[in-house]
Amino acid sequence: MISTGINGIDDMLGGGIPKGSWVLYSMEPGVDGQLFTISTLFSALKKGLSCLVVLPHTTFDIFKHDAAAKRGCPLEIFNKKVVFIDAIDRERIEKSSRKRKEVQKKWEARIEKLCIENEVDVVFIYVDLINDDLGLDGALSVANTAKTTSKTTVILEHLNLDGKRCIERFIKKYTFDLIISISSPFRSHPHFDYFTLMHTSWSTVPKRSVPFVVTEGNVVPYIPKIVVTGPAQSGKSTFITSASDFGVSIDRRGTTGDPTTVAMDFGWLNWKNFDITLYGTPGEPRFDPIVPNLLNHAMGVVLLVDATKPQALERARYHIQLIKEKHLPMVVAANKADLPKTMSDQQIRKELQLGEDIPIFFISATRKSDVSLVLESLVDFITKFTY
Amino acid sequence: MYNFKSGITQIDAVSGGFEAGTNFLILAPPMSLAEDLAYSLTRPLTGEYAIVLSTNDRAAEVVDAFKVMGVDKRYVGTIDAITKSSTPGITDTNRLMFVASPTDLTGIGIKFSKMVELIFDGDFSDGESGLFPPPVRFCVNSVSTLLMYRKLEILYQFLHVLTSKLKKIDGVGFYLLNKESFDEKTVSLIKQLMTGVIEVKVEQNVQYLRIQGIKSLSPDWLKFSVQKGQVVITP
Repeated sequence: MISTGINGIDDMLGGGIPKGSWVLYSMEPGVDGQLFTISTLFSALKKGLSCLVVLPHTTFDIFKHDAAAKRGCPLEIFNKKVVFIDAIDRERIEKSSRKRKEVQKKWEARIEKLCIENEVDVVFIYVDLINDDLGLDGALSVANTAKTTSKTTVILEHLNLDGKRCIERFIKKYTFDLIISISSPFRSHPHFDYFTLMHTSWSTVPKRSVPFVVTEGNVVPYIPKIVVTGPAQSGKSTFITSASDFGVSIDRRGTTGDPTTVAMDFGWLNWKNFDITLYGTPGEPRFDPIVPNLLNHAMGVVLLVDATKPQALERARYHIQLIKEKHLPMVVAANKADLPKTMSDQQIRKELQLGEDIPIFFISATRKSDVSLVLESLVDFITKFTY
Repeated sequence: MYNFKSGITQIDAVSGGFEAGTNFLILAPPMSLAEDLAYSLTRPLTGEYAIVLSTNDRAAEVVDAFKVMGVDKRYVGTIDAITKSSTPGITDTNRLMFVASPTDLTGIGIKFSKMVELIFDGDFSDGESGLFPPPVRFCVNSVSTLLMYRKLEILYQFLHVLTSKLKKIDGVGFYLLNKESFDEKTVSLIKQLMTGVIEVKVEQNVQYLRIQGIKSLSPDWLKFSVQKGQVVITP
């Protein structure tokens, strides 16, 4: 496997890209998706693989400088050789003949020669200008010559000016093993980009869009909203506090004397290269009108129940109903499992009418490791969930 | 709806200026004052911002051109598609960004989005803030150069994306095209993306302009000159 250089995506793909694959990073205009290609290049070099980068739109000097600026370290730190075909080579090739077929042959010969001479393992091609010069079929034929062995991986980057139609054409007409689309809704404010796993030939990951942020030269998948909900006193605030690198809980003393959340809890954490924002709902029924609003735009839900309080499960059913209406992926955390007289998995499942596909974790929300396990399961669930 | 003043009294008095979310093609012959006209229309007024995509002038020259007009440089951003080919190590700042060459539409798109994002986030003008949502004037100098490097169909699609984005942010765009270097089909295709056309002609060393696409404006030719970056209509 070759790592994409982006842990979250590697996890979704089952470890990375199998050697010998055809990969397309399809970027919509305006999205800073170049870091996807650069991340994969750095990752291949780090693994000791020999690489060829085809850059018809720029010179290798500019590319090396930009890649170093984006990643914070130069390509030269890797011992493995990286060779380039750049804009100057393109000019030479273009000038060599006026006939498109001959130009195509020149491209193919040049790429093949460099691949064989340098025993190239991974080829990165920015296809746009070759597409301009030779048409899409010609450009892909050129790319195909890079596959000098069955183990050679070819990664194409292109600017998608044609939207979904273009991707559909790529999926239907050409045999890519992986297509990742990198897009932006271009809302003026707030601004965010997202990637979508459009197609994989080796795994059954459903089509899934995940927002991402760029932090210190790394693409970091970002889950903007996971909601932690459940009955009052089930431990939602404690769960969020244990999970978060930084958080805010808005608690006041309730009628029973125990602290209760008013409005909501917030928490932020970076977990396995995912940036995650947690929202905790208040559990008291008087706050019920705001809970559906808090579930809006959530990507997943942790339903927290008190494993020692069977009488609170009826209230949890109300929360499950809300989650089902929104078609959200959910995991259940049965809290206070370290206390005596806890309910069994079977009992909770029966009372809440949960199918076997929804995992129940017996945890103590005060233990960071327990909380992490729940989030790990939910993130996994979110990335594979079929809506 | 925000209106971008053209700075030309005779036009602003009648039409109120350019409506937010509109795009204008500046169609001009070579050796005319079209670039001065484009920069003058792109000049940000108080509270506004300007972004110039330059495929002809270096960023420093663009900044100088706006300085001559008395513009606070903190409100002007340049995407320079010239300098990087000779100075590969040049680095981006919030207001000066560089792409490898005019062929690099990917880079141009990214830098445009980044600048808009910085403007909306309030990180563009060294802590100074203009209006919100920020009125952004955008100038492409020039479409002619982009057309020399990329195929018409590709550039059409790319400009379609850019003009749509500008609409979304309620900005105004000016796109320079040399009308003598391209055939009618090319010009009319690019026109399809625009709200209106500002046409320039030169007769016996006198510059004329006319604006099509703003309802209240007469489509008659107007004599004009540019003085210190200010467009002046002469009788």
